[in-house]
Amino acid sequence: MSRRYDQSTTTFSPEGRLHQVEYAMEAINNAGTCVGIVDPNGNGIVLAAEKRVVSKLLAPSKISEKTYPIDDHICCLVAGFSSDAAILIQEARLGAQRYLYTYQEPVPVEQSVKSICNYKQSYTQFGGLRPFGVAFLFAGYDINNGFQLYQTDPSGNYSGWKATVIGQNNQAGKSILKTDYNETNLTPNNNNNENNNNNENPLTPSINLAIKILLKTMDSSTPDSSRFEITLLTKNKRDDNEVDVQYMKLNDKEIKYYLDGVVTEEEKKKKNEASTSSDI
Amino acid sequence: MSIFHHNGGAVCAMIGKECAAIATDHRLGVGFQLISCQRPKVYQMGPKVCVGVTGLSTDAQTVYEKLKFRIKMYTLREDREISPKALTAMASAMAYERRFGPYFSAPVICGLNDKNEPYVNGMDSLGARGDENAPFIVDGTCDESLMGMCEALWKPDMNPDELAAVLEKCMANSLNRDCLSGWGMTIYVITKDGVSTREVQGTRMD
Repeated sequence: MSRRYDQSTTTFSPEGRLHQVEYAMEAINNAGTCVGIVDPNGNGIVLAAEKRVVSKLLAPSKISEKTYPIDDHICCLVAGFSSDAAILIQEARLGAQRYLYTYQEPVPVEQSVKSICNYKQSYTQFGGLRPFGVAFLFAGYDINNGFQLYQTDPSGNYSGWKATVIGQNNQAGKSILKTDYNETNLTPNNNNNENNNNNENPLTPSINLAIKILLKTMDSSTPDSSRFEITLLTKNKRDDNEVDVQYMKLNDKEIKYYLDGVVTEEEKKKKNEASTSSDI
Repeated sequence: MSIFHHNGGAVCAMIGKECAAIATDHRLGVGFQLISCQRPKVYQMGPKVCVGVTGLSTDAQTVYEKLKFRIKMYTLREDREISPKALTAMASAMAYERRFGPYFSAPVICGLNDKNEPYVNGMDSLGARGDENAPFIVDGTCDESLMGMCEALWKPDMNPDELAAVLEKCMANSLNRDCLSGWGMTIYVITKDGVSTREVQGTRMD
């Protein structure tokens, strides 16, 4: 029945749905998982993603596959068609610079997200063009609203999140977040993972949680650090009271360090459960 | 008074041995009246590149902001810092876009490329670039004095300290004789470790 109403973006179905837009959203569910977690203590944002294409023959790309900076204080994770994402990222970058040129202030994160979403929406209403098959996780900092995380989808809708998962198996990821995302869990001293040092990066528990989620959503049981892409967005206060936002992509060694910590912790938990259950 | 001399200001850049330096005055005026003595004309555009913009202040500000925009886009797209040579070409193209209604300002680019070779270059307001291998570039209201001073005092292969001293002498003497520029001076020395800034005391405050 929907066959008659799904050929064109600009036609509603009798049930009041835009099928092309929904099909575009389906495309995202086959993409590599992306996790975004805002640290509840205000130390920053952790963005983690699963890299899909890993072949030994692929030439290593200097520019990342999933994470892209938009400006000094905003970056994004991509889920969906990379080619569509490239166009939107270029638009976001130009938009951020135009705002900076006009107001001499960095663009507020929500403004940047809104303008990209309006751009996406116009492809669902005008011109007979197909929608963009991309969902983004935009992460950024501005002085008025602190650290923010936004999710956008092909329809042009966006929503703000404290933590979320998009892409393949996102439901599994979201259910882990429902139980594990809280302030006590994500504060360094409370998180008793002895595999990490004590002088740790305050984002460590959030990084560990992100890796834990990706391990669940990935389809392999032996994860390799080359399949992860982890980026941290943090801030430093400068001497002149200005805030410097730092965008830091973790290198392979650092990813391996956190990954090993999480894997060891998970194995320990499994052993504990196994031993307690045998006491009955 | 020429439109280029309305607001006043001067910039001078020189190369040394694996280092480059650029100096700016601090005056902003409206004709002969002084408005501010805290307006340096040089901005750092990258870890090892500085750009100085002289001429009509409103155009100098606009050229600086437009350059900042384009450099940011370059850095994000190419995931590397822009070399001084590419920056010069970009500034020159940007100036020529306004060939028949130009910006009344002339950028001076000074920096080290990624092999740490020093490079200075400048252009006029229509984007005509100078010599690629220039030893020094001068611009501003006292450009003729600056040219004379640099010609007399510059010598090749100076180390950063020598270069800063020579640049300071050239600038101070030229600024002191010019009523439309001066009111303070800052020197930026660029070496492979980055840009170090020094405000020079003791110049004539008139």
